[in-house]
Amino acid sequence: MIQETVLAESGVDSIARRLDPAAGPWAKPNRVALGATILVLLALPWVLTSFSTGRFALHLLILFFVWGIVTQSWNLILGVGGIFSFAQVAFFVIGGLASGAAAQQLGLSPFITIWFAPIAATIAALIIGLPSLRLRGPYVVLLTLAFAELVRNFATQGPKWIAGGGYGLRDVPKFGFEDMLGTSTGRVAYYYIALLIFMITTYVIWRIFHSPIGMSFRALRDSETYATSRGVDPFRFKMLLFALSAFFTGLAGGFLVHYNGSQSPAILNFPLTINLLAMVVLGGWGTFWGPILGTALLTALPEILRGPLDNWRTMAMGLSLALIAVFAPEGLFPLLSRGFKKLFGRKDQAKTS
Amino acid sequence: MEKLFQAVYGGILYGSIYGLMAIGLTLIWGSLRMLNMAMGAFYVVGGYLTWTAFKLWGVPPLLAIVLGVLAAALIGLLIQVLLINRLLGRSSFFNAAMIATVGAAIMIESAALLIWGPRVKQMPPILEGHTKVLGVVIQYQNLIIIAVAAISLIALSLFLKKTRYGLAIQAVSQQMDAARLMGIPTVLTFMIVATIGAAFAGMAGSLLSSVFYIAPTAGYAPLTKALIVTIFGGLGSIKGTIWAAYIIGVMEAFLVVYFGAGFALPVLFLFMILMLVIRPSGLFGLGEVQRL
Repeated sequence: MIQETVLAESGVDSIARRLDPAAGPWAKPNRVALGATILVLLALPWVLTSFSTGRFALHLLILFFVWGIVTQSWNLILGVGGIFSFAQVAFFVIGGLASGAAAQQLGLSPFITIWFAPIAATIAALIIGLPSLRLRGPYVVLLTLAFAELVRNFATQGPKWIAGGGYGLRDVPKFGFEDMLGTSTGRVAYYYIALLIFMITTYVIWRIFHSPIGMSFRALRDSETYATSRGVDPFRFKMLLFALSAFFTGLAGGFLVHYNGSQSPAILNFPLTINLLAMVVLGGWGTFWGPILGTALLTALPEILRGPLDNWRTMAMGLSLALIAVFAPEGLFPLLSRGFKKLFGRKDQAKTS
Repeated sequence: MEKLFQAVYGGILYGSIYGLMAIGLTLIWGSLRMLNMAMGAFYVVGGYLTWTAFKLWGVPPLLAIVLGVLAAALIGLLIQVLLINRLLGRSSFFNAAMIATVGAAIMIESAALLIWGPRVKQMPPILEGHTKVLGVVIQYQNLIIIAVAAISLIALSLFLKKTRYGLAIQAVSQQMDAARLMGIPTVLTFMIVATIGAAFAGMAGSLLSSVFYIAPTAGYAPLTKALIVTIFGGLGSIKGTIWAAYIIGVMEAFLVVYFGAGFALPVLFLFMILMLVIRPSGLFGLGEVQRL
């Protein structure tokens, strides 16, 4: 469509302008919106700390950043790669264990040990990816589930300095901002670190989405045979995807263990995995904004609905997952953006996209 | 000798349970090519209903078990009709069905939590008493579990081999398009398969409610085990799954008896990973055939 209109407008102007910009993987973010968002996010904690309920909101925002990192990188495997891996939380826990145990046992500063987290998670991803990524469909599901189960076993029954007799890591050194800056300002510092990690992750994932690599991932998902015949090595690309996704997930795990000061192996139980899966799927898997939207929704909504509806929360989540699978398999974000375009977009735009 | 017998006996007991859980997974994979993640929820439903029927309604235990099985089967059929049937024919069927069944599982579990509360329940043994064989204590009710599991698995194999509906299920799982051309109603077959699968998971839950406790999340452990069994046996292969259930059961019992309970799961998982690397489609797997 665009090609024809451009041609009609400009005559046979230049070859370059005949390219459909939407066909290429490249995309430029809207600089004004991006800058405004960053400014708001930078200023937000100072506004929030002046309210009495703001400190809890700040905590929720930090959790949003952490889970946002995990869901975005899981979306990379699940949505973009089309690989049904259930090992994401296991990578998260491995990151936390690596950083937490190192800080605890070696007495190193959390600022140093947090780098062990992504490295350990990436190594774990490469090890589990080696057997599972040559397989397809259900076998990947089963293998990664088994891997998560193994990690859970290790985290609850492993050596004492890791499992802590079933309670996980406790009394892990924190980053120590509360001591330096006081509780309130200290939390703002945690917020900034979480924000920084979140921004870096989001930037890298944005670049992956809008690059030839991202195109290759999607091509592999949609037709492995065709992608392979066009020179995309499925195994190498899937390993790359797995490693990238585990890297950021591990980093988030490393951050959370030094933010909470502990890590319970209970986070490997099914509810959290399903919660994160719901974030990815509800928001819209395979889309860039989907997991961010999903994480925001599922972090904020339960807190807003707290109280009389408490018991119905999990029920509602299950129902929404089932409904999404049946009625809007792409997730909420594509649905919303289409609706938005229909309502406010110019007519020609709504048609071409 | 005593230890050996203990391991074999325990293995057969575990194997019976895994067989009941895994047979549904493999049947559903065979005809629908999807993983039903709600299997654990059917297990929970079976257990709770048996307990309620026995404790609150005063139904005799064997009838209570039948009620538990029927309830699980009914819910399995409902999920198939309300969710899975609507997804048939989509290009992303595997993913969508998986998400839908995960959602259904969450709903069933939270409903169980609302109805029965967080406190765990336990059925009294169906048959009291025990006997000693070669120095190993054998509970009568474990014998019942072993017998019921074996009878149901044999009955299912006979059903699949001898009856029209069973043959239809086999035909659909071998060549769906050809089966449809021969006039087999595939959607009806899917519904039968889903019901049978849920009924077997429910049976595992009902039978085990007197051995282990019942809780809303009690279904995840058997689900994981069933997944291992189906991988090992080869997804879609009935014979392979039944063999695998008993092999894995005996292996686990040996590991528990000789090395302690902590070793059992990790070694099983490592074994499974190795198995997948060497024989990616399991003992008697169907191989990778893309469909739907």
